[in-house]
Amino acid sequence: MTTIMRSFIARALIGGATLSLAASVQAQTVKIAILGPMAFVQGENHWAGAEMARDEINKAGGIRVGGKRLQVELVRADTNEIQSVPDATNAVERVVTRDKVDFLVGGFRSEAVLAMQEVAMDAKKIFLGVGAAHSKLGLNVEQDYNRYKYWFRVAPTKDVDLARTLFAVLGSIGQQIRTELKTDTPKVAILAEKAAWTEALVAAAQKNLPAMKMEVVGVWQPSATATDVTAELSAIERSGAQIVFTILSGPVGISVGRQMGERSMKAVAWGINVEGQKEEFWQAAAGKAQFVSTLDTYAEVEMTPKTIPFVRAFKERYKKAPTYTAATYDAIMLLKAVIEQEGTLDADKLVPAIEKTTHVGTGATATWDKRHDLVWGIGTTAGIAVQWQDGRKVPFWPPQVKGMQPFRMPPR
Amino acid sequence: MYWLRRAWAELKNDVFVLPSRTLALAWVVALAVLPAVYADAYVLRILTMTCLFAMFAASWDLLAGYSGQVSFGHALFFGAGAYASALLSSRLGISPWTTIWAGAAAALAFGVLTGYLCLRLRGSYLSLATLAFPLIVLGVLFAFPDFSGGELGISGLRRLAATPVANYYVALCSMLATVFGLWLLTESKFGLVLHAIRDDETAARASGIDTPRYRLAVFAISAAVAGFTGALYAHYLRVAGPSALEVALSFQVVIWGIFGGVATIYGPVAAVFVLYPLTEWLGSFKSFGELRLLVFAAIVLLVLLFMPRGLTPWARDKVEARCPRCKERNGAWRSACRLCGAALA
Amino acid sequence: MLQDILVTGLVNGGVYALLAVGFSLIFGVARIVNIAHTAFYMLAAYCFYTLLAKTGLGFALSAIVSVCAVTALSVLCYRLVIEPVREHEAAVLIATIALALIFQELMLYFFGGNFLGIPSTLEGSVRLFGVSIAYQRLLILAVAAAMLALVWFVLYRTRLGLAIRATANDLEVAGLMGMNVSRVAMATVALSVALASVAGVVVAPVFVVDPFMWLAPLVTMLAIVVLGGLGSLKGSLIGALVIGYVEAITVFVVPAGAYLKGAVALSIMVAVLLVRPEGLFGVTFEEER
Repeated sequence: MTTIMRSFIARALIGGATLSLAASVQAQTVKIAILGPMAFVQGENHWAGAEMARDEINKAGGIRVGGKRLQVELVRADTNEIQSVPDATNAVERVVTRDKVDFLVGGFRSEAVLAMQEVAMDAKKIFLGVGAAHSKLGLNVEQDYNRYKYWFRVAPTKDVDLARTLFAVLGSIGQQIRTELKTDTPKVAILAEKAAWTEALVAAAQKNLPAMKMEVVGVWQPSATATDVTAELSAIERSGAQIVFTILSGPVGISVGRQMGERSMKAVAWGINVEGQKEEFWQAAAGKAQFVSTLDTYAEVEMTPKTIPFVRAFKERYKKAPTYTAATYDAIMLLKAVIEQEGTLDADKLVPAIEKTTHVGTGATATWDKRHDLVWGIGTTAGIAVQWQDGRKVPFWPPQVKGMQPFRMPPR
Repeated sequence: MYWLRRAWAELKNDVFVLPSRTLALAWVVALAVLPAVYADAYVLRILTMTCLFAMFAASWDLLAGYSGQVSFGHALFFGAGAYASALLSSRLGISPWTTIWAGAAAALAFGVLTGYLCLRLRGSYLSLATLAFPLIVLGVLFAFPDFSGGELGISGLRRLAATPVANYYVALCSMLATVFGLWLLTESKFGLVLHAIRDDETAARASGIDTPRYRLAVFAISAAVAGFTGALYAHYLRVAGPSALEVALSFQVVIWGIFGGVATIYGPVAAVFVLYPLTEWLGSFKSFGELRLLVFAAIVLLVLLFMPRGLTPWARDKVEARCPRCKERNGAWRSACRLCGAALA
Repeated sequence: MLQDILVTGLVNGGVYALLAVGFSLIFGVARIVNIAHTAFYMLAAYCFYTLLAKTGLGFALSAIVSVCAVTALSVLCYRLVIEPVREHEAAVLIATIALALIFQELMLYFFGGNFLGIPSTLEGSVRLFGVSIAYQRLLILAVAAAMLALVWFVLYRTRLGLAIRATANDLEVAGLMGMNVSRVAMATVALSVALASVAGVVVAPVFVVDPFMWLAPLVTMLAIVVLGGLGSLKGSLIGALVIGYVEAITVFVVPAGAYLKGAVALSIMVAVLLVRPEGLFGVTFEEER
């Protein structure tokens, strides 16, 4: 074999030997792997949330496991899942076999997380999902409990529950339009990127909106990576819609925000706009995305008693606001809570403990159903709604939470 | 007893005389014995993926190196095999051991279709046309998300074998069988005809060779192997998604093929075995793991400057020499050809 | 809607023309399929963004500096990376792919995977024929037309252009006639990447800038040059307009099928190739061995 291959095998052998030696000697830390696309915002937030949790726990002395106190050690694993699914599964295999981690946290791209889940379940490691919303991940738990029981979704709520939140907020915005614009049935244009995950949402919108006394004037489906939505927006303007219901996760969300502002459209955008949740959105839309509103997780509002201190500490440390993948903080705190409760690191004992617990996190108060998905509830796990006003994300829903501000409509 | 003596004679006269063949034999033995020595699940996973991609690269080399039809969309056949096998096994419940062959068959059909569409195209036109096909199929897949799973693909596929070691052996045996089979094919009369077609198609036709038939045949065989690999890949990862059809994968196999040396079959295989574990190893570093693609591209670029014909031709030329009279390869240390006795320069 | 299609098709076609003509130039002269062509377009966009955001240079100056910087870089890359392996077509191919990947990863490393927005050079819009067109898009159209006219002028009215056309026609004979073929190739690379950089600078404010923005235009551009015929500038121009309009029509007439516009453009390319294997105006290089 070639020299490179030979030296690689030699290195792998030596590395493996050293690590197994080390593993047999140490057991002084709780090792948690943070899996995410580290070159991108989602992975950065995965790691940042985890770091904050680790530093807080270790400063307070670590996790109490039985009689001992163990420190938390994080293993940073770049899954590169946005670009390559096999890279992600290789990363999971690596942290399980080489680094011998005890728990897995993270994941983002649903196609990759489905494959990563398989590797994690093979190894019988608890995998807390923070980022992928696809229902299949939870469906697997229901269909084959004994294999998939180690999976729990800490964030976000599964995709069908996102729909319920969207309609709840849509109802409230619709009501505001009815009073302000004196029209009985607000017109809604559905602007959803063409992707499998939006299909169900579009169908649900077409069914529910008439029942909510709102008229669907059309459905437009640009590509998720579209950079020019002139066609769609021209047609939406012509249809006279007052609300543009967005179901977007890709960069098309930026184009929509920017071009709606450039055209000074009278309609207001509400829905899922994943790019709109990022701090960089305002700059990416060249300062034009006024009034764009989207579902989100973190803001300086009192969702739970921990929200505001967490958001402030995050902003101070990392100089920007957290996005929903920073809920790795909650995942690690959840692990700490159940480990201390059960006094063991054994996955089979921790699983039933998580199933029964209620965890007050930073973005949600979480309980889990039999699919190990979050139980939906406004004010508990449904998240918040934010609107971009003058360069800042202003939270406006749910109104009963302290810190909410009013929703603004574009001038007519 | 006779077979043992025969095997020993073959080894002595055909394999051990050339360093490259000896190396190949040693490599095969090492791969076969590895799990007994070091059964680390991570290493086995990497090597399984390497074997699969090596098969894929070898199939590309047959098409591009031997028949001169440089395909920029080889991922089409890979993805076709993956999706066909996934759909049949998950929707109809057929055992994966059967559906992988169905995957190969589906890919073969795509290969014939592509080959037919590209019959009149030459050179860069053919390459760029083949680039388009996987993208068109991707568009179609996204248009029918209920059937194809859209951007998530089809998940929850059944494994072919239960343990990492068993999966490794499945991949290894498939790889050795197909690569050796392809190599034998290219060393046969069929391969000779392909060489002729690539070098001068007009002259080949003038000699009476039915070139369209050969070109179609190569597309079919190459596609079938690629599809088989795709099916194995899908059942190993348990997910068949649009990532099996993407442009990056097509470009990746082109890089492997050319880096290893086109028109050799073993060249791309060697390239995959060098580059894939290397990239994975680079990715495991905490500090610059995220730069793995950058380092990979830089390495490819640098190596190319020194070995423009590829890795294996350069390596072979270092240890072997070609006899000026009978054109057979000899160890470079020899002074006379082992077959015809002519003096080696 | 018709006016929307007319305008959008024209603007998109103009941008694609800038990219396609440059690509065709390199292919015609140096027989290089430059996969990194749109990567240079991406670099120019990033350079423009950096100059605008970090220095006080105005739009015009930042644009000119970006174009010059990226053009210089391309000539450097050509000398260091492509020229040494010129005779090995296969090696040149993956050299350009590797270059494109390197640029992508460098941008990913320095700027992160985030999408960046560049403020428009010209704000506001105008209403023409009942369609509201942003000034920025009119600027794109104007610049594209001006650059194409400039290229035509260079190619048909200067000695360098004559040399380029001669080399594209027959490389060997041009060398025999005493032209410094390698220098002509470098000049062609510079000219073609300059076109791509101008495209990057003008288009970047309208699109979003991210490290992967070179992939989608690459595929469309390849479809265009193949459709028009590799090596034919007229073909690239017409191909660009055709594809620009096909995409505009797909998006406006079938809004739910907008994601298919790439696939439709590629299908048209395949269809044309079946009928005319060299593209619409392509030249077959029969003597090429």
